[in-house]
Amino acid sequence: MTTHAIDPIKFEVIRNALTQAAEEMAIALRRSAYSTNVKTRQDFSCAFFDKDLRSVAQAFTQPVHLGSFVRHVPVAVKRYGPENLDPGDMILSNDPYGGGVHLNDISLIGPVFYEDQLVGYTACLAHHVDVGGGAPASVGAFREVFQEGIIIPPIKFVVNGELDADLFRLVLSQIRSKRETAGDFRAQIASNRTGAIRVGEIIDKYGIDEFNQYIDEIIEYTDRRTRSEVAKLPNGVFQAEGFIDNDGFTDDVVKLAVKITIDDDGVRFDTTGSDPQRRAPVNSTFAQTFSACAYALRALMDRDLPVNDGFYRYVHVDAPEGTVTNCVHPAPVVGGWETHVRLNDLIFEALSSALPDAVCAGTKSMQCHAGFGGENHETGEYYCFLETLAGGYGGRSTSDGPDAVQSHGQNTENAPVEETESNYPVRITRYELVPDSEGPGEFRGGLGLRRDYMFPEEATFTILADRDKFGPRGLFGGENGSKSIYAIIKDGEEEHLSSKTTVQLKPGDVISYRTSGGGGYGEPFKRDPQVILEDALQGKISIERARERYGVDIDISRQQVNKQTTEELRSAK
Amino acid sequence: MTANSVGRYRIGVDIGGTFTDGTLVDSTTGRVTTSKVLSTPSDPASGFISAVQKLLDLDDSVKPEDIEHVVHATTVATNAIIEGKTAKTAFVTTEGFRDMLEIARQIRPSLYDLQFEKPAPLVPRQLCFEVPERLDAKGQVVTPLNEAALDKVVDRIAESGVEAVAVCLLHSYRNGDHEQRIGKAISAKLPNVIISLSSDVVPEFREYLRASTTVINSSVAPIVSTYLASISEKLQEAKITSELLVMQSNGGVYPAEAASENPVFMVESGPAAGAVAAASLGTALGHPNVISFDMGGTTAKASLIRNGKPNITKDYSVGGAAQSGTGAFGGASGYPIRTPVVDLVEIGAGGGSIAWVDSGGALRVGPQSAGADPGPVCYGLGGDQSTITDANLVLGRLDPEYFAGGEMSLNLEAARDAIRIQCAEPLGLSIEEAAHGIIEIANTAMVNALRLVSVQRGHDPRDFMLVGFGGAGPAHAVRLAEQAGIPRVLIPQGPGTASALGLLVTDVRMEGSSTLIIRADEIEHARITSEFDRLEAAGREAHRVAASASGPPVFERAIEMRYWGQSFELSVPAPARPTIDQTWIDDLTESFHGAHEMAYGFRANDEPVELVNLRLTTIGKIARPQMRKLESTGSDVSVIPKGERPVYFAENSGVKGVVHTPVYDRSKLPAGAVFDGPAIIEEPDCTTVIHPAWTVTIDEFGNLVIEINS
Repeated sequence: MTTHAIDPIKFEVIRNALTQAAEEMAIALRRSAYSTNVKTRQDFSCAFFDKDLRSVAQAFTQPVHLGSFVRHVPVAVKRYGPENLDPGDMILSNDPYGGGVHLNDISLIGPVFYEDQLVGYTACLAHHVDVGGGAPASVGAFREVFQEGIIIPPIKFVVNGELDADLFRLVLSQIRSKRETAGDFRAQIASNRTGAIRVGEIIDKYGIDEFNQYIDEIIEYTDRRTRSEVAKLPNGVFQAEGFIDNDGFTDDVVKLAVKITIDDDGVRFDTTGSDPQRRAPVNSTFAQTFSACAYALRALMDRDLPVNDGFYRYVHVDAPEGTVTNCVHPAPVVGGWETHVRLNDLIFEALSSALPDAVCAGTKSMQCHAGFGGENHETGEYYCFLETLAGGYGGRSTSDGPDAVQSHGQNTENAPVEETESNYPVRITRYELVPDSEGPGEFRGGLGLRRDYMFPEEATFTILADRDKFGPRGLFGGENGSKSIYAIIKDGEEEHLSSKTTVQLKPGDVISYRTSGGGGYGEPFKRDPQVILEDALQGKISIERARERYGVDIDISRQQVNKQTTEELRSAK
Repeated sequence: MTANSVGRYRIGVDIGGTFTDGTLVDSTTGRVTTSKVLSTPSDPASGFISAVQKLLDLDDSVKPEDIEHVVHATTVATNAIIEGKTAKTAFVTTEGFRDMLEIARQIRPSLYDLQFEKPAPLVPRQLCFEVPERLDAKGQVVTPLNEAALDKVVDRIAESGVEAVAVCLLHSYRNGDHEQRIGKAISAKLPNVIISLSSDVVPEFREYLRASTTVINSSVAPIVSTYLASISEKLQEAKITSELLVMQSNGGVYPAEAASENPVFMVESGPAAGAVAAASLGTALGHPNVISFDMGGTTAKASLIRNGKPNITKDYSVGGAAQSGTGAFGGASGYPIRTPVVDLVEIGAGGGSIAWVDSGGALRVGPQSAGADPGPVCYGLGGDQSTITDANLVLGRLDPEYFAGGEMSLNLEAARDAIRIQCAEPLGLSIEEAAHGIIEIANTAMVNALRLVSVQRGHDPRDFMLVGFGGAGPAHAVRLAEQAGIPRVLIPQGPGTASALGLLVTDVRMEGSSTLIIRADEIEHARITSEFDRLEAAGREAHRVAASASGPPVFERAIEMRYWGQSFELSVPAPARPTIDQTWIDDLTESFHGAHEMAYGFRANDEPVELVNLRLTTIGKIARPQMRKLESTGSDVSVIPKGERPVYFAENSGVKGVVHTPVYDRSKLPAGAVFDGPAIIEEPDCTTVIHPAWTVTIDEFGNLVIEINS
């Protein structure tokens, strides 16, 4: 093959056309999918890998997947053997102990051939609303991975363009939400096909040799930019520790530890000191821990840095086997993302002394799953529903943490109330901010939110979340955000529930989530009184709280700050 | 009015941030007359009427009563949103959902940015009110509307002194009764407050998107309706009694009364006009694939046209950041609307964009603009901050004595001083170097916009032609094409007012829809018939207002469909059969399977199919004016410059610094003439800069076709 000098315009065109191909995969998946979790909440990701299984282009959806998916796809293809794949074939896999994450995240991978030559792979991952196991939506507290649902090693699911009917029936028979899941699988196939067509069009234009040459350059370009970004980070060793509230079976906290070493060779994340794995849903696979570290590093870099193999090669992770940050078979994994996202908070806390203007205070940093299901009397089908709820974001050095938003690797949309009620036998009766839930600070944390679900029929509901013991941490004198509350309301009586529990509901029962507010940043008594007045006028912070936590006296009837008493309150501290 | 005078002349007026452009077309001969006046942001209607008056003055054979219709594009709605100057608005929703606008979609606009912000809601939390009531997903009443509680809410709305109210209740797309009653209760007490009901504006499910669209509609309605009323009044005073039509974001036009009620359909009115103009021109000249580049005084807009049609999207956010690709979260940076919009990228770079040196010592351009008032320093109207126009002047690319066709002279010394003090001295550069830096920095941002619509959508810019227009477009287009890798540029006749011409080459379009959400195997045929009949009657009624301006109403029927369980619909044209029966349903279902296979590569013949919305578009055709050819000069295609002046170029390797550059008068350039850059081509409303290594050809219609030397 002859190598030509890189043409900068051609480079940009091919680079962006590949990203566009991944984006179109995402559009095809989203628009043809059936479950709310995929079609609306966008709990999926798509990517193109080159013939050597390096990630080249990714669709801009969920960072949690993108960091873990790039590890899972090469492992799955190598386990199956790329030599066993022909044009039109696709393999399916969700094996946590084969490079994967939790069972709900199922990857479909298809080789892309151009004139009989392998040129790469299109792959997509979707969080399926149900994969069987012990509770609807396949979330819940179990002892072993076998109880969590169907485990799929890499298998040929699509053969020469046709779905393998026997395998499809076998997989679907394990799953509660058959119609939706079947639709989501078809959407995944459509996604990979769309990507393969787009990649083929690019090669039509430039030829295979040039295509491969430019892929190398795309990765090298990212490598060069990542290297210069890493060089800008402060050298040193930074550490933090934190806790998951409980493991779902015992009330014992789960310790997480992270040590970050930045030197001229790059950035190394070490989770030694984290607790041994539990027979409980708090274990993260290596891919999940890797994804947490990749996200954190990416968030400290230039905003338009591409994310592909040239970036990932700078993420070095040491996670000791047998801990909650790198569990071994047969530990349950469904709550691994809770551990993953908490690691993000800890990484930023560890780096806060060195990078005070880059990081944020503690965020809700939990996935906060709400999963439920049962028989839908109207359709006669078994239905399942899953969503995750937002909370407060942490304050930053010059701005408040936004209210009610997803954090870190998680950026799934809320399920619209109207869509949810149109498809499932549930009524959402409240969806609102929780006043006074913010962590006070010069720049306060964001507010958490409340969402209440009322069930007109019997149903099984699983809460898989956290933060009912510790609110998100404040930074530099900022205070912690509120703890979360999970409750069941029966006949008007409210009873609090654990953050990891499955309950059977009777008609009329209500499950209520009130998620944590974000941690504050800086001393609350330094917060501008006029800004607190605005918070109070909007009803986000009560007058009592303004006085007690911020030392600001508000005269609400005159809509102004009482300056003299405020000075007295603040000087008394 | 005599029969032959009807339909003779049409006027288009496009108000930009800096200039107001007028175009008058004689539809019988294709002759175009243009005018350009400074915009009057404090009272845009006065700029509007000056542009119209100037058109009438230019040609005294045109009588006000000969005007067939006036079409208007305006950014008045968008500007109100971007500048945070929307009307004080209240929001009313179902009890328990007061924070719908605050929570929005619970996502971050950018994935890896720890410093992101969610856009502040257009209605502050203290003006969001809850009413006890509830419908279920079928539209049946679960909790009746609590009239006593409603009265209290109405009292609080009255006390708050709002100008507008948006009402969006859960499941109102199924049943608008509670919204209607709330609307009546508010208007009974507050007759002057504008009320938008979500079930009227955009009856589609997904509450946040519907609420956001409705809030934008209501919060700009007081501004838009006052504005359009004052324009109508001024047209009456000028004895123009014909129809006033307004450009919509989707490239069609609708009557001013419809625009006053539903302004959310015109938020991208001005940019849509530019894209329509470029598409029409490209198609007429045999170039169906073009990139439209419209640069005015305040912003620059780029959009991609394939096969003669601008791309239309319903995933659009007002006031959002420039989106890279079709990123799923791009929309979280602005306010989503669910009305159809021409897909374009707009950035804050125009002739009036202000150049400044930031705290880190970097030269920056925009996004602040001096606009028309006070304007660039060289206008001498009180502007004291250097702008892109000042930089172009300093570099010799503009003639201080021939601006706006010589009606306005520019103060070169003032521009030089401003750039020297504000940019050159702080950076240790010469004045020319600083001016050149300003242009190149602005160009970089604009090249990025061109890439967003082409390369980032996977289209190779080398396959397209750049159509450059707007007052500042022709001064930058050639250099942008050079940087973006586009080999051919077209500068139309009257480039400064080309957008206004776009207003005159489109049809009246009005969209009506009806939500069904019912499976094909469960629907009653008569219901489809009756819903289409109802929509057609409404379309006929709406068209009556525009009847004098367009042909008789034509209807396009489509059904938005999906597999039962999906959330995104595909639009399928209604089968062309006289009666809606089982065969009609079967044909429709088969068309849907085919459309799904085309879009996503598979069909699921055994899956139930759902009819979601019936859509009926009422179209009133408007005949296109003829394009006029240049008068032939026979075989003599020689060109003689009107002069020469020093112009600073530093972009090309072969040329650096000041070059003595010939200056041509565009009106003297004959069809068939060919000459090389560097060159300056002047005409009354703008100046085209031809860089070295490019060649200009004048085509038979007088367009400048500029191609890079291979």
